[in-house]
Amino acid sequence: MTALVKAGDVAKELCRELIAADFGPYFGTPCRTLNPLHAALHGQVGILTVAREENAIGIASGTSLAGRCPVVLMENAGIGQCVNAISALVVPYRIPMLLVVGLTSEPTQVRLTGSLLENLGIASAELDPAEPLGVQVEELSTIVQRRLQPAALLVPPAAFAEG
Amino acid sequence: MNKTAAIRAIIGATETRPIVFTPGSASAIAQDLADLPNHFYLNGPLGLASSVGIGVAMETERTTVVVDGDGSLLMNPVGMLTAGTLTSLRLIHIVLDDGVYAFTGGESIPSRRADLCALARAAGYRRVFSTAKLDEFAALLRSQLMSCTTPVFIRCALIGGDYATTERMTADLENHARRFYRHISDPVWLARAA
Repeated sequence: MTALVKAGDVAKELCRELIAADFGPYFGTPCRTLNPLHAALHGQVGILTVAREENAIGIASGTSLAGRCPVVLMENAGIGQCVNAISALVVPYRIPMLLVVGLTSEPTQVRLTGSLLENLGIASAELDPAEPLGVQVEELSTIVQRRLQPAALLVPPAAFAEG
Repeated sequence: MNKTAAIRAIIGATETRPIVFTPGSASAIAQDLADLPNHFYLNGPLGLASSVGIGVAMETERTTVVVDGDGSLLMNPVGMLTAGTLTSLRLIHIVLDDGVYAFTGGESIPSRRADLCALARAAGYRRVFSTAKLDEFAALLRSQLMSCTTPVFIRCALIGGDYATTERMTADLENHARRFYRHISDPVWLARAA
């Protein structure tokens, strides 16, 4: 069924799957690509908008240390700003969390995002709206909630576009 | 009061409530004085102690103490701005203001004309205090810990040197995180600290 979901419903479906997989709480920074997911989460479980990406990582770390599986939404430019927070906090303290990264159409930033995540040791996967979202979320859940590692879901620019 | 005396007072007053220490001398001194399971020592990055504390306070719904420095606060004031919007957050944000980056050799902090308390008020903190006296600070902290229902900002103006501490950050940060998690997720502690 998920494969037949219209593009405009992908964000809502992903929101449902993340909540069903016990991810949360949710923190977000401004991102045009992720705006539909941000809106869906806001309507379902709430999302705290934070003014700067690395602070969102810091707050998420606090909730993770208290036993939750937080999710941080950010655009790909934010990953560069979070290098210190990820390399000095998330990775060495092994703090599980999911990063949902909205990709822009700027090729240098997209290339840099993949390279930074790989060099930071963060497992990442690109969202495929044509494939069942539940399966994709389950794979991320295995990394974050069972192996207790951080992971990233990369969202292409048109993934949540209205069909 | 110097930094060591202030941290000793914080550890004594806070008891088993969670404390997040900013990287550098604050973490090193606390670890030297009493390495307790309610302590979370940041090894980096500078400027995120209040953000981590916000997350802990949000999730545990228990009063959480952040031990920040003036240098780390100014490195990234967004945590302060975020706490200011969360009016029911039980967070006590202490800034040990010594005017220097102590851990990196004592470079001066570009804050001579900055009013940290005014910044906190502007960020939305409703309870803002400044003190330079150890007894007054200890009493203030104890009373705020008993009545904390909204973010509290306390600036401690420090004077005088500290005893030398070696760089005592635990090598095993994963286990440090697990120790802190076990403490703040312990149902017995949560019930007692409610």
